[in-house]
Amino acid sequence: MNPPSISRRAFLQGSALAVTASAASRAGAAGLPEAPLQQSPLTQPPLSPANGRPYQPVVTLNGWTLPWRMKNGVKEFHLVAEPVVREIAPGMKANLWGYNGQSPGPTIEVVEGDRVRIFVTNKLPEATSVHWHGQRLPNGMDGVAGLTQPGIPPGQTFVYEFTARRAGTFMYHPHADEMVQMAMGMMGFWVTHPRDPKFMRVDRDFVFLMNAYDIEPGAAVPKVNTMLDFNLWTWNSRAFPGIDPLVVRQNDRVRIRIGNLTMTNHPIHLHGHEFNVTGTDGGWVPPAARWPEVAADIAVGQMRAIEFDATEEGDWALHCHKAHHTMNAMGHGVPTMIGVDQSAVAGKIARLIPDYMAMGDKGGAMGDMEMPLPENTLPMMGGRGPYGAIEMGGMFSTVKVRRNLARDDYRDPGWYRAPAGSVAREWRGEAPAAHAAPGGHHEHP
Amino acid sequence: MIPLVSRPSRASALAACALLAGCAQLSPDGGFGPLREIVAQRTGAAPAWHRTPEEAAGNQARVAQLLPAGGRLATADDAVQIALINNPDLQAAFAELGVAEADLVQAGRLPNPGFSFARTHSGGDVKVERSLTLGLMQLIAMPAASRIEARRFDQVRLQLATRVLATAAQTRQAYYRALASQQGLAYQEQVEQAAEAAHELAAKMAERGNFSRLDAAREQLFYAETQTRLRRARREAQQDKESLARLLGMAPAFTLPERLPELPAKIDDAADVERQAIAQRLDIQAARSELEGLRLSLGLTRATRLVNVLDLGALRTSESGKAPETGYQVDIEIPLFDWGQARVAKAEAIYMQGANRLAAVALDARAQARLAWRERQDAYELARRYRDDIVPLRHRMSEENLLRYNGMLISVFDLLADAREQAATVNAAIEAGRDFWIADAALQLALGGPAAAENRQGTQP
Repeated sequence: MNPPSISRRAFLQGSALAVTASAASRAGAAGLPEAPLQQSPLTQPPLSPANGRPYQPVVTLNGWTLPWRMKNGVKEFHLVAEPVVREIAPGMKANLWGYNGQSPGPTIEVVEGDRVRIFVTNKLPEATSVHWHGQRLPNGMDGVAGLTQPGIPPGQTFVYEFTARRAGTFMYHPHADEMVQMAMGMMGFWVTHPRDPKFMRVDRDFVFLMNAYDIEPGAAVPKVNTMLDFNLWTWNSRAFPGIDPLVVRQNDRVRIRIGNLTMTNHPIHLHGHEFNVTGTDGGWVPPAARWPEVAADIAVGQMRAIEFDATEEGDWALHCHKAHHTMNAMGHGVPTMIGVDQSAVAGKIARLIPDYMAMGDKGGAMGDMEMPLPENTLPMMGGRGPYGAIEMGGMFSTVKVRRNLARDDYRDPGWYRAPAGSVAREWRGEAPAAHAAPGGHHEHP
Repeated sequence: MIPLVSRPSRASALAACALLAGCAQLSPDGGFGPLREIVAQRTGAAPAWHRTPEEAAGNQARVAQLLPAGGRLATADDAVQIALINNPDLQAAFAELGVAEADLVQAGRLPNPGFSFARTHSGGDVKVERSLTLGLMQLIAMPAASRIEARRFDQVRLQLATRVLATAAQTRQAYYRALASQQGLAYQEQVEQAAEAAHELAAKMAERGNFSRLDAAREQLFYAETQTRLRRARREAQQDKESLARLLGMAPAFTLPERLPELPAKIDDAADVERQAIAQRLDIQAARSELEGLRLSLGLTRATRLVNVLDLGALRTSESGKAPETGYQVDIEIPLFDWGQARVAKAEAIYMQGANRLAAVALDARAQARLAWRERQDAYELARRYRDDIVPLRHRMSEENLLRYNGMLISVFDLLADAREQAATVNAAIEAGRDFWIADAALQLALGGPAAAENRQGTQP
């Protein structure tokens, strides 16, 4: 994990001191809690609670947790809905809408039974609302514009207040012009921790939302009218190689909470370990009902918590198993060139198009090719590992299990050094005799 | 015939004849010098008239110097120069100048005196008449006739100069047309190559099972259509080159530059195109000269009232399919019944007719100058738009498309389709450039002098 970069307000690091002097001057007059900003695209360390009920904090992949203030026993948060610039991966920035400087917005962490007050300031050009996905709350706090409340007009601040009644995994997103606002990246994670910190306690608790964008190569604003043909498949609005690894100490109990706000399902596959699905949208799965899996399909609008013991050291892939979802922007209408010898034609084409290079005749691998792309565009596959190009993009990361990590150390330990003789290698011995398939070989008369 | 002229008037007539005869010698260059001056001043290229085998040979040498066999016709100015000395139609037209000059000289010559001898029988009588005759009529009419012929000679010269200027403009236009269609042909060849590459690739892909027959047939069809377009472009290029060669008076055994000249950095404002046209156009000068002739004739009528040369203007007979016949007729009447008042009225009417004709010619000239200027201005804007915006944008699109191909966002077929579109845009840009130069030559002609495209010489390839 990369060291946390300096956010606009350094208090975010570790301490939960949410209100600073400068913040007080702006927000104090209105009686609002500070609305801190985050501008680093990297994973921030967990935010341990400085007040209120204790809990084991989560780590938001390539994200952060929103600080709060306690006021008369109520946890007060301040979300600002606003246009943001999000780096999807190094080399590409997207103009999105989000909360408090980032898309997705910060993770909100509370404890079962907490009284929660959330101020929502709308700095978007149109009305918005916030729906607290999965929560039990008074109907008027459900955030469906038109149905349970008027939309929050641009420039105005609304307040939501309810008690976090049920521990579990939740999300928040607009329910006003939601097609556009979610296509623009308006969403965030919500975790309600159990009142008893020992309940299903894990050592590392990661959260991320899955989202998808359709951004024309060379452009920066998503096409909000796209329904299915997205070209950027992201976790917390980051695409590999922009997704941080999930760093884990060997034998840690690990929970990964995943929410799906795309328009298709994602079979999330973990290498090297089996896991149990321990939580769904509706709550914790009783131990007797848990299924062991290595790939959990997470449907649209669903959340899943999966848990496993990270017993196996190494760099283990974690990815969506839809092959196109581990690719970045690509042309879905490009014909297959496999097996087509282009050498004769390539010369002719190169006379017309001087920088032309024949591609695809041997397959799609192009991880080692370095060719100029349209600006602000990610290569279809990118990222390099210790053994060469990792021909993946999109919804791909690694779970890095290491023996000698400190308890709360989330720093990227680098590539796994496999013990000698434990890596697949070229066979230098005698080749085994090839056997014909039964009946597959006929003597010609 | 008995001469009925008093002694003093005969003497004065003889003196006048001598004077006129003295003026009206055949000139060594057949009156071509002033014509050459006019044309050279307006086009920068001097025409030549070859009346002897030596002159014709000299001309061939000059052509060979401008254009070695199979050589490169580098500029439109060279093409114009060759046409002005080598176009056979022009040479034929120059002969009219000789005819007109001969008429002029003839009109100023005293008629030869003649003797007549008559011996007649009337019954038993024999009658012998001997007389010395002199073309008295001709003598009386000689001053007027000479003036008229001199003016006619002037007019022939102006008409010829107009024709030379038109040929120069046509040559210039034909040059740009031939060059542009040749340049367009080169791009059409590129398009054909792109189509061929796509076709070959599609055929291979169909063979290997990567492409459906439908997709392969689409590329094959496009290739076939491109071939027909190429053939058409080739034919047009040949036609345009032949047209130019015909104007140059030679076989199309020459090459043209690969590209049209650059557009001028700027072109003049339209401040005085109309004034320029009025000052420079030869048709206006011809109409003005005709009117001047009428004015003099009108004066003559007032003086004599006996000699009618007004038909100079009136005698413009035209039959369909033939060139108008102009000339004059001199009548002498005995003023017994008609003392000429009606004739004066007619003279004035004819003069007014001439004045109005001049006005009409001037109006036409102004309109043509305005229109030609506007058209050149528009053609310039269009050609610049292509050069400065459309072609660079097309080029940028192609670069971006290549980047997209690199990212496997589009296929090689998209890339080839883009190359074809780029070639089509470049072709349109070539045509826009050609249209500018053609409009420029048209403006030059409409102004009767050099058009205002700046640094014309400097930008020729």
